Amino acid sequence: MVGKDDILKIAKLAKLSVDESKIDELTKDMGEIIEFANTINTAVTNVESEDFDEINNIVNAFHQDEIAESYDRELILKNREGGLDGYFFVKRRSEK
Amino acid sequence: MSWELVAGLETHVELSTKTKIFCSCTTEFGGEPNTHCCPVCVGLPGTLPKLNEKVVEYAVKAGLATNCSIRNISKMDRKNYVYPDLPKAYQISQYDKPLCEGGYVELNSGKKININRIHIEEDAGKLVHQRGDIYIDYNRGGVPLIEIVTEPDFRSMDEVVEYVEKLRLIMKYTGVSDVKMQEGSLRCDVNISVRKQGEKKYGTRTEIKNMNSINFIAKAMEYEFRRQIDVLESGGEIEQETRRYDSGLNITESMRGKEDADDYRYFREPDLVTISISDEQIDRCKKSLPELPQQRLKRFVEVLGLPVDDAELLIKYQKVADYFEEASAGVESPKTVSNYILSQIFRRFSTESEKEEFNISIPPEYLSVLVILAEKKKITSQVARNTLEKMLDEGKTALSFISEEDMQGVDEDDLRRLCQEAVDANEKAAAEYLAGKEKAIGAIIGFIMKYSKGKADAALAAQIVKEIITKEI
Ligand SMILES: [Zn+2]
Repeated sequence: MVGKDDILKIAKLAKLSVDESKIDELTKDMGEIIEFANTINTAVTNVESEDFDEINNIVNAFHQDEIAESYDRELILKNREGGLDGYFFVKRRSEK
Repeated sequence: MSWELVAGLETHVELSTKTKIFCSCTTEFGGEPNTHCCPVCVGLPGTLPKLNEKVVEYAVKAGLATNCSIRNISKMDRKNYVYPDLPKAYQISQYDKPLCEGGYVELNSGKKININRIHIEEDAGKLVHQRGDIYIDYNRGGVPLIEIVTEPDFRSMDEVVEYVEKLRLIMKYTGVSDVKMQEGSLRCDVNISVRKQGEKKYGTRTEIKNMNSINFIAKAMEYEFRRQIDVLESGGEIEQETRRYDSGLNITESMRGKEDADDYRYFREPDLVTISISDEQIDRCKKSLPELPQQRLKRFVEVLGLPVDDAELLIKYQKVADYFEEASAGVESPKTVSNYILSQIFRRFSTESEKEEFNISIPPEYLSVLVILAEKKKITSQVARNTLEKMLDEGKTALSFISEEDMQGVDEDDLRRLCQEAVDANEKAAAEYLAGKEKAIGAIIGFIMKYSKGKADAALAAQIVKEIITKEI
């Protein structure tokens, strides 16, 4: 069962702040998600052998070791307001 | 009270593939920041990774070269942690089904350092910290790594140093990595604890992260070993924590403690399919492995008759070892070839990387001919040495410098006469030698070399001179 402590721990690991008033609701949601995952687990137990989870019967989707051109830096940094001097930039957190 | 060191190593080795582990960006070192990037390796939503086949091949080779068994079925997992060097907030790694398991690296003493596992994973980006701000370069993000994890089998700093050096050579010989430590392509985390000699239980351990030089690893361990002993002897307790080595101050300092212990919430990477390797593929990899450094070392010692220390110096540089082997072909004593390389030739290569490159002006056959001339007593060792210098300077064969006169040398009767003259002319030195001053003989040999114009065999001359002096009493 998912408890309040689990929610707080996961939030801490993910560096998310959680509003006190939301905890009960989140605990319930997370419980349902885990329950769903458990349901799936019961469905796939029969393939839990050496060839575990070849659910789609696909193995070895590889790329070959040949260089393709990388993206223009402007495009890469566009998602982060263009970055700074070619770098992704994270400003120092202001003191609390 | 004597304390025992207990240590284990996790070594990250950057593989020498051309492309990254999950995309086709180049893995080339350096480059302008964020120019070796694409949506996959900066972790944009909606992108899908695709595993580089070469990474699997190299990891399998590394595993076979370290006596691991290879898993036929393997998979990738997500290791979750939030830090700016990981754009996805997780690293794609391997958790419970690593490619390779249960190997070892043998030290010269015969002791085996057991390898628990080798798995593949992606490298993180590089962070530049400036006044609390962070600048991020993802060129290195997604470069393929193998992580080689040993059991806590090390009992001394020397064992660690020897292991890292051996591992480096194995990776180099198999071609899975160029292992340039200064470029960070081999980095170590060390787990270290101490216990009283004879104790069975392990002490609490600390982990020192991310060291990229053998020198630093040794110094950091030395410091941490003493620190732990000091804490325990003054009645304290070791805290389980992660520490960082500061090479400037030569200390280790705490990074984070147990309460922030790693909790990575591993789970199967749903974006990547199962890796399946057949026994035939593993066999093919095994057959493609070259002679490994340790085998080569053994052969140099047991078959070619080199002293271990000399053999070790040669195999340390693959090109030097190759050169040595070629120059030894047809030679009676490979040790003479090795002596020339390790003394006279090495003198011309001062740095490690120069020895690594080994750009020598003469092909191995030239050295071979010179050694054969000396072995057949066609020339003296003195002439051989001088000739080698000229050969190295000008890149020419031995015979372009050796005259008819040199080839004749000094025959033994002439040499005996000359030795007698030399002793007579240097009575004082002879007396000193008799009185126990070994070095005094140098003056007499100098005399002989001078009058024979360097053609006399110095070793033989010394032997004759000693006979003469001791007989004269
Ligand atoms: Zn990429």
